[in-house]
Amino acid sequence: MERIAVVAGYRTPFCKMATYFNDMKVQDLGRTVVRELIERTDFDPSLLDEVIIGCVGQPADAANLARVIALKAGIDEKIPAYTVHRNCASGIEAAVQAVMKIRSGEGSCYLVGGAESMSNIPFNFPKSFQDWSLGMAKSRTPVQKIGQLLRFRFSMLKPSIGLQLGLTDPVCGLNMGQTAEVLAREFGISRQEQDEFALSSHTKAVEGREKLREEIVPVIPGDRFKKAVEDDNGPREGQSMEALTKLKPYFDRHSGTVTAGNASQITDGAVALLIMTESRAKELKMKPLGYIKEYAFAGVEPNRMGIGPAHAIPQVLKKADMPLSQMDAVEINEAFAAQVIACVKALESDEFAKQFGYEGFTGKIDPNILNVNGGAIALGHPVGSTGARLILTMLKHLNRNQLNTGLVSLCIGGGQGAAVVLERE
Amino acid sequence: MALTLSIENNIASIIFDDDDSKVNVLNADALMRLKNILNEVARKSDCKALIISSKKDGCFIAGADIKEIEKIVEPDDGAEKAKAGQDIMNAIEDLSMPTIAVIDGVALGGGCELALACDYRISTFNPKVKIGLPEVNLGFIPGFGGTYRLVRLVGLQKGFKMILSGKPIAGEAALKMGLFDKMYPAASLDASVAQFTDDVIAGNYKCREKKPKGLNAILEGTKFGHKIVFSQSRKSVLKLTKGQYPAPLKAIDVIEKTLYCGREEGMAIEREAFGLLAITDISKNLVNVFYASEKCRKVSVGVKGQDVSKAGVLGAGIMGGGIAQLLSSRDIWTRVKDINYDALALGLRSAKKVYSQAVKRRRYSKAEADVKMGHISTTLDYSGFGQADIVIEAVLEKMDVKKQVFKELSDNVSPECILASNTSALSVTEMATEVKHPENVIGFHFFNPVHRMPLVEIITTAQTSQETLATSLQLVKKLGKTPIVVKDSPGFVVNRILLVYMAEAARILTETGRLEEIDKIMTDFGMPMGPFLLSDEVGLDVGLKVMQILHDAFSDRFLPEPLFEDMLVDKLLGRKTQKGFYIHGKKRSVNQKVLNNLEIQEQALDHEESLKRMVYLMINEAAMCLDEKIVDDVESIDIGMIFGTGFPPFRGGLLRYADSLGASYIVGELLRMNEKYQTDRFTPSAYLNDLKRSGNKFYE
Repeated sequence: MERIAVVAGYRTPFCKMATYFNDMKVQDLGRTVVRELIERTDFDPSLLDEVIIGCVGQPADAANLARVIALKAGIDEKIPAYTVHRNCASGIEAAVQAVMKIRSGEGSCYLVGGAESMSNIPFNFPKSFQDWSLGMAKSRTPVQKIGQLLRFRFSMLKPSIGLQLGLTDPVCGLNMGQTAEVLAREFGISRQEQDEFALSSHTKAVEGREKLREEIVPVIPGDRFKKAVEDDNGPREGQSMEALTKLKPYFDRHSGTVTAGNASQITDGAVALLIMTESRAKELKMKPLGYIKEYAFAGVEPNRMGIGPAHAIPQVLKKADMPLSQMDAVEINEAFAAQVIACVKALESDEFAKQFGYEGFTGKIDPNILNVNGGAIALGHPVGSTGARLILTMLKHLNRNQLNTGLVSLCIGGGQGAAVVLERE
Repeated sequence: MALTLSIENNIASIIFDDDDSKVNVLNADALMRLKNILNEVARKSDCKALIISSKKDGCFIAGADIKEIEKIVEPDDGAEKAKAGQDIMNAIEDLSMPTIAVIDGVALGGGCELALACDYRISTFNPKVKIGLPEVNLGFIPGFGGTYRLVRLVGLQKGFKMILSGKPIAGEAALKMGLFDKMYPAASLDASVAQFTDDVIAGNYKCREKKPKGLNAILEGTKFGHKIVFSQSRKSVLKLTKGQYPAPLKAIDVIEKTLYCGREEGMAIEREAFGLLAITDISKNLVNVFYASEKCRKVSVGVKGQDVSKAGVLGAGIMGGGIAQLLSSRDIWTRVKDINYDALALGLRSAKKVYSQAVKRRRYSKAEADVKMGHISTTLDYSGFGQADIVIEAVLEKMDVKKQVFKELSDNVSPECILASNTSALSVTEMATEVKHPENVIGFHFFNPVHRMPLVEIITTAQTSQETLATSLQLVKKLGKTPIVVKDSPGFVVNRILLVYMAEAARILTETGRLEEIDKIMTDFGMPMGPFLLSDEVGLDVGLKVMQILHDAFSDRFLPEPLFEDMLVDKLLGRKTQKGFYIHGKKRSVNQKVLNNLEIQEQALDHEESLKRMVYLMINEAAMCLDEKIVDDVESIDIGMIFGTGFPPFRGGLLRYADSLGASYIVGELLRMNEKYQTDRFTPSAYLNDLKRSGNKFYE
């Protein structure tokens, strides 16, 4: 089977919610990075078979976000586009869609990615207000109108926060942070362990700033175009254990261990990847960053969603027929420090492997090859984009260090895990 | 055959389709034929309706024949010609059957008036549909009953807006104001027209009657209200035209008189005014300017140009940002490069500002403006330039910088890419020495502000290929600008002529110290602003740089006055430093500091003489440009000066104005001034001397 190459990839800086990208719509974040990819690669976008973009908080004013991004970025109208949603793995899903389409012979060249503006996930009016407004519009006579007016209640104006709803599991009813608490308790992960993990994420991200610039395109955010944003603004230079220890547990005030400091940041950002068959890349004289070897998705209990990678990783390795020890670098998305630690612990456990039949595909992950340039705790987690960023960051890391095999994985709200095996050569 | 009549099922149909032209024009022949046809229709008592339409793509009727109006020299002749048209329009109106105009394109001037004479007007959704009365732009007023009928149909305020601005409106706007009764898709127009006609015949269609409400009810419905509208309209016209253009004022006079009288009397008043206006020099000049601009707009070279879909811009300053905005507005993907992101951000902000204003003025919807703005991307390196069809550099106006940039560009673009320099005076030929393909090099002189100024000087070097020129012309036209093609020479044409005038203005200032008065001489002459205010707007440093280039290249007629240097030292650059010749606060006032620097000889200011010094020097300079064959035709100079510097169109342009004085008079005056001021800067050019000798004019 022909190999599937990632020939180019770029991302916007990742900026904390309500900071630099506050006024930028998700479609504009997306089109900026897609256009920049076209410009920087001198790639003729009319060669694309399709555009596939992942997004979680899909905006009401850009239904089928991928199409809006494609058109606004100057991709030919003839090229179709669709948006995918697999929660936190939407960006990976977009890439996987391209892999599946290429494997099935549908096409040979795809622009994929993820885009998320968590700053712009709206507040919602209650349904009662919607019903009342409709009633008002339907009232014809003055009497009807007055009657409807009298039915108004101020409680109708109390909005629900879209972001909060999105981060709450509708089946188990737990907030994502609470699911991390579940894992922390189950695996006995202390507050200190989590905070140390968080600190190291910041340290690595700050140290890796120069390296990360290789994947970042600076953005001058509209509408005001004040100043260019060139770096992620999540990593904190002076982050200390002391500061992290001071934070109160956010999700379980009394007995919890998960704080805003050891959880991923809420962030805006977009990623674009250009994926094509190896032969197509050769034909176009484009040097691949690397190849997508295999992917896997796994389902877990919604209230333990953070354990997803511990299942997806052995499953993808099994598909690729490679042991975990062969991986030169690993990225496990840092939704929560507790959840990453839990996954590492589960993968180390023979019992876990036996229980699920993962023998031969689990093992110990060397902390020195895990999330080497920091993760979402420092860089932020624009949910729809992160999956694509992990692929991009990993491929750049493999290239920088002449490593060959990389594994990226993330947990998915709703109780899933995703994993992808990448290789450079 | 210009128009044909057919009758089917008792429905008469007149179709305009002029074989000899791309558009239908109401010339004398067409009017005669229309008259005969209408007589024939009137005799058919069993005819139930008359439909008037056109077979031309994108055109109903483009208007009366300007060439016929141009020939009018007697007011009575003009009035008579108008009467012939009015009578025909009246005949349409007087037909006992319903009359319907079907508009699927432009309906301007006489075409609009014909539509107004019909009982109903329906149009298609074709974006080419435009209806209006542009007559005032040519110095006269509508003469086929347009002033009488339009205000009765759409009201005084909207009617005035159309007649006084001369701007045509789109179909949707016409429908909204009641000028159109219905709009239909062009694809099923015939069936829709048939249905509409049936409805009208059967009495099933009622005209929409919109009663004005609130304040408008008073303004439109009472004599008192009308008085307010008349006086407000007069005020705003005077503010805009400074009284130099009589046609709009005359239109207000006519409508004020005809609003309350019957058709016959109203028509008589209209045609009399038309006749008086049509013979004025101003009208003739405006018509000539129209022809000249059409000539420049239609200029073409033998080969076909390429369509530009991707452009690069170097430098995101005022000009670069403006050019990027303009390119993006035509849906050209534009990559802007500068040396840092702050500079790029500034460029994006200036582009955004133009778009915001356009949204405010409803030129674009918010979504359209967003998409267009998104066509601009920014970079610090040459990434993306490999795909560009053209790169326009707008970096610092310094030859070594420009040369460096061209050298770099040459290594970073495709071999076919056109390399254009936006420069106001530097030698494009010299820049072209740095590149691998000098045949691709051309100059664009955009004027500031880019989005508003209608002119681009296109500068060709000896090596510029015809293909490069063709593509450039095509692009400039796509950008909505009028090009003039100029051979590479210091200052090109517009700045060269302008600066000889600025230099002389400064000399007069040094002599007399009458800053404001000198500016007023020129605004009275018709310039939009005087030389010193213009310098403040442009920036003294910018102007002086060009003047030095011209001084180096030519002679002391471009010698900058010492006062410029003093001002430069004191940072009195103009509006950008708040202080220049004027102090630009809330109210503008003369900057006394400039005058204090002068050792004024306290001469009285001779207005007539000063005007001659400034304007005749310009004429002489223009003649030299013709002598040096920098431009191919006189029209290019006149259009350059009108569109580039605001030289008054009612004077017909610089050289048209010179023709009205005569070469021998100008030569005489120039020689006299040479003597009087003990100088040789007024020495008449060979070209002027030739004209004097042969008795010819600039315009043959």
